[in-house]
Amino acid sequence: MIKIEDLSVSFGGPEVVKKVNLELRDGEILGVVGESGSGKSVTALTLMGLVSDTAVVTTGRILFDNVTLQEAGRPFDKALYRHYQGAEMSMVFQEPQTSLNPTQRVGKQVEEVLRLHTKLSGEEIRAKVLETFEAVGLHEAERVYASYPHQLSGGMRQRAMIAMAVILHPRLIVADEPTTALDVTIQNQIVELLRKINMEQKNAMLFITHDLHLARRLCHRVAVMKDGCVVEIGTAEEVFDHPGQDYTKRLVEAVPSRVKGRAGAGRKSRELSAAETGSGTSEETTVGSETNEIPGERLTDSRTLEISGERFIDSGTLETQWRTEESGGTAPVLRVHNLSVYYQDGKSPRSQEQAEGQGRKRSSPFSRLFRKQGQCVVWNADFEIYSGESLGLVGESGCGKTSLSKAILGMNRHIEGEIIHNSVRPQMVFQDPYSSLNPVKTIGWLLQEPLRAAGALDKSLAMTRADRETAARDMLRRVGMDERYWSRRPSELSGGQRQRVSIAQALITNPGFLIADEPVSALDVTIQAQIMELFLTLQEEMHLACLFISHDINVVYRMCDRIMVMKEGHIIETGETEEVFAHPREDYTKLLLWGS
Amino acid sequence: MAAYFVTGEMFQGKGRAKADMKKKNRGRWRKNTPQRKNTPWNKYLTAGMVMTGIALILGVAGFFWTPYSTTAMSASEKFAAPSLRHLFGTDNFGRDIFSRVMQGLGTTIVISTLVVFFSGLAGILLGAFTGYFGGVLDEVVMRITDALNGFPSILLTLVIISLLGSGRQNVIISMSLVFTPSFVRIVRGEFIRLKDADYIKRARMMGAGKFRILFVHILPNIFSVFWVSVMIGFNNAILAESGMSYLGIGVQPPDASLGNMLSDAQGYLQAAPWYALAPGLTIVWLVLGFSLFSEGIRRRAEGKQ
Repeated sequence: MIKIEDLSVSFGGPEVVKKVNLELRDGEILGVVGESGSGKSVTALTLMGLVSDTAVVTTGRILFDNVTLQEAGRPFDKALYRHYQGAEMSMVFQEPQTSLNPTQRVGKQVEEVLRLHTKLSGEEIRAKVLETFEAVGLHEAERVYASYPHQLSGGMRQRAMIAMAVILHPRLIVADEPTTALDVTIQNQIVELLRKINMEQKNAMLFITHDLHLARRLCHRVAVMKDGCVVEIGTAEEVFDHPGQDYTKRLVEAVPSRVKGRAGAGRKSRELSAAETGSGTSEETTVGSETNEIPGERLTDSRTLEISGERFIDSGTLETQWRTEESGGTAPVLRVHNLSVYYQDGKSPRSQEQAEGQGRKRSSPFSRLFRKQGQCVVWNADFEIYSGESLGLVGESGCGKTSLSKAILGMNRHIEGEIIHNSVRPQMVFQDPYSSLNPVKTIGWLLQEPLRAAGALDKSLAMTRADRETAARDMLRRVGMDERYWSRRPSELSGGQRQRVSIAQALITNPGFLIADEPVSALDVTIQAQIMELFLTLQEEMHLACLFISHDINVVYRMCDRIMVMKEGHIIETGETEEVFAHPREDYTKLLLWGS
Repeated sequence: MAAYFVTGEMFQGKGRAKADMKKKNRGRWRKNTPQRKNTPWNKYLTAGMVMTGIALILGVAGFFWTPYSTTAMSASEKFAAPSLRHLFGTDNFGRDIFSRVMQGLGTTIVISTLVVFFSGLAGILLGAFTGYFGGVLDEVVMRITDALNGFPSILLTLVIISLLGSGRQNVIISMSLVFTPSFVRIVRGEFIRLKDADYIKRARMMGAGKFRILFVHILPNIFSVFWVSVMIGFNNAILAESGMSYLGIGVQPPDASLGNMLSDAQGYLQAAPWYALAPGLTIVWLVLGFSLFSEGIRRRAEGKQ
């Protein structure tokens, strides 16, 4: 039905899509997978005629039922496309937040498609929209019809977008990363919905995604794109189980998967490691420093431990006690006891607690109501992290993962309960590699800054300029980066490289404990695999305890020894990784596992 | 015949080779200076730099040397039209207008620069602290700046001048006070925007001190925005200084300034139009040149990103 022949697209410079051949039959779902910059979105947008004016089709053509929609050397035919767009082919975008007009009611926006392409009367249009809403699983159709986009959740908005796309029963639906911005459980529902629509309406679907798991589950055939070329195309089983190309192999291998086993599987378990090292944190890290041989390591002697403990006691005067335990026996690096975290709204924790008490009695649909008043976001968290161990924290957006990590780092003082640190200065690696490095500084400067700061806090740790530079250069090398990046600025690095620098910056003082907040979520699969590998190596070398926060349960599976599952502020399940995956106790955990 | 062809071809070949070499060299020169490719030179920058440069040279020279004394009167040369002898003509006392314009230009540039420097400095300090720490200090400072903004600026300077008395020093003080609030607002807004950036959070986690975060981590990040406001502020300062001198509360006669020359020239618009045109066009030249310069800088900076 759809035929893309030898298509090349250029934005004035080099071609971003090169000689792409794709064919799509009725009722078929074709997945296009690839990393960012592989040209998959540009291909889809060109097919839809939505690519920006500066793009030129340099070779090839696009056929829709043997009608040539676009051809090299022919100017873009707007009138022809208007006939097809919406009626014959439609598109679902990635961002449900930005693809609906925030100032118009959702119903009106969906009606717009019918107004433009059919001659139905107002009443008929309305009836049809409501019917379609029901069909895509928006059960309170009337309410959704009269809502503004901000009144709907992300999943509902995406359903509305899909309603808009399928309302005219188009023969082709192009879905550009339709589930990427959604939580895992919602993601599943949307995928199922797309599959159902495909079964019922027998329309062709071009499904663009970077998520290989998704492509495998949903698509009949899969095309792998790299640098603007289709490197491999075939049925989903062929491509994923018997990849013919090296690139596909690498891509499939890079995806974290439960089938392939985990990095930590061969490693000693928590109890073992605690028993083996026995004598506690400070010595463990010193052992680490002997093998590491970088001058910065002397930051982790026991004196610093005390000093940082005092500092925490000084500053953490609110409801909590920050204290450093004498490190002996199997003392955990971090012990969190009965910790509740409150949303910052200036109220005292006490009054919040009272309001909370009232709110908690209500049934769950009202839970959003009292959270609006600025209430408790984490309830009675209770866990420990031991040296050299990584604890995974899994949960959907808004479940309190980030609030918990902020509380642990002392960035949120609206807390009750106990947080006991046994590490120097816990550090954090953030999700977004583009905002976690100061853009005006050079990489060398950034790497030396933690050492400078440590020296300024405690004169005994002050290092000479030369020592600092050696330590920083060494760290740069250890995160797998070249010397030549030393004097570059973050804007000249790729996302993966930036994340490497972030990790280096966090670990250069050998903090002993690191919180990683979705450190690989913003990266491409192959880069993701590299960064995860780096994490594991460094963790082994530095005997680092790590709280690893992620929404991707497969990443956590690969990285972590133990897992905590969090839902709506509660830690609902904790356990050894294998055990949780093999025998999940909670329904919610099962749902998460099933989803990926 | 054959010889002719050979030489002809040779000649052509030589020419082509030369052209090729030129092209290659141009390419190489570009390659060797990558910053030029990233930050394109533009017309605005050239025009702005030429105009500002001429004004700057004349103004600075005016402090040390002028073609004629700025105060020497000559009854015989009253209202002389522009000529080679007197480039911009002479005024009602027979003083050379070009010399006086040079002196006035220097005064205006120095006063404007100092005003922007002082109010910019105050803006950075106040904006950084109020933006980063917030709280009571922020409320107090912002209400004061609101109050200052509430008055028409010329009225406010009049009040301050009447309290302090006129004179260059007091002009600078009063104008700095009037110009500070806008800088505070801009700097404060940027600090509020950046204080929750991930890299600032991480700096805090490393244990960097408050002052270090304020002035080493955040401050360099706001310069692109701050620079634009400095440029605009400088132009406004030029206009404000001229306005104050025009009203007689700025630089006092017999010292020349562009504003008081304009006000003196009012009575002779018919008889000696050049008397008003010379300082008027000089102000236009200076402000236009500087606007072009700042636009050029802005475009160049954007080209970089």
